[in-house]
Amino acid sequence: MKKVLITLIAVLAFAGTVTFAATDTKTVSVSATVSATAKLAISAATLTFPDADPDTTPSISPTEGALTITAKGKTSAAGNITLVVNADGPLTSGTDTIGISNLTWTAAGAGYVAGTMNTSDQSVGSWTGSGNYAGTQSYLLANSWTYVTGSYSATLTYTLTAP
Amino acid sequence: MRRGFRQLTTSGWLLMALLLIATADTRAQNPLSASTAASFTVDLQVKLTVSATTLTFPNSDPDSVPQIPASEGPVTITANARNEGTNQIILSVQASDDLRSVLNVIPISALTWTATGTGFTGGTMSTSTARTAASWSTSGSYTGTMSFLLANSWNYPVGNYGTMLTYTLSTP
Repeated sequence: MKKVLITLIAVLAFAGTVTFAATDTKTVSVSATVSATAKLAISAATLTFPDADPDTTPSISPTEGALTITAKGKTSAAGNITLVVNADGPLTSGTDTIGISNLTWTAAGAGYVAGTMNTSDQSVGSWTGSGNYAGTQSYLLANSWTYVTGSYSATLTYTLTAP
Repeated sequence: MRRGFRQLTTSGWLLMALLLIATADTRAQNPLSASTAASFTVDLQVKLTVSATTLTFPNSDPDSVPQIPASEGPVTITANARNEGTNQIILSVQASDDLRSVLNVIPISALTWTATGTGFTGGTMSTSTARTAASWSTSGSYTGTMSFLLANSWNYPVGNYGTMLTYTLSTP
């Protein structure tokens, strides 16, 4: 009887200190790919410079106003995103031309810079690392009494690169 | 008369013998009752099944895909568990690290999920805290889905990012 009693007490004491728990685990591997990407948006597809008195309007603004440019790019942390522009030639009307360097611009927005148009690439903006970069370009066409009458045109090409 | 008694006695002896045999047979066909104790132990037990071992988020245009779904689609989870009393059965998930590509990091909080199924709940991933993905109060088999989304951004540096998620099903 004594032996039985001692055994019973031991069992009760043991039961009081045990913490029961059940656990199962599983693992899942997560991967995400970020690739070099460039995306460019320009607010206007045309720039129109109306005829104006060179004495009162020595520099002509386009009727469309300032261009809003949004340059988006994904690159390495130290990668250089660049935006350039060039012209396909001088402003041309038949056989008459106006030198494309008469077209200049000022700029606003982080990374955007002013410049003078050329048939070779001219920097419009540059940035380090991925991001969404917005700015404006305000073009001006130098006016002159020496221009031959006509309807002149040229094509500007913007190129955004995210290496 | 003596002759009749002898005949009666013989018949009686025969009848008695028959009665004894019948009695003996009856006693053999009625064995003593016996009993045995049967017991079945139901222990705490959990079993977890996850339909996918990988989650893959491909490169996408942040303008058109602001939230990238996993290529594998929704993850199906089956949680089988026996609990004790009113102890909760908990399914939690935790990331080992932010999404990392060498030195570049996408915070793990960019990874979220929505859920379907009884007891399952949506949430935002964390490395510091095990997030509750589901909970129940009674033993049973529970099936649900988790649909993961990775927030997209133009600000992410190029790279191949990775981390590990650990699911834990438990009952105290």
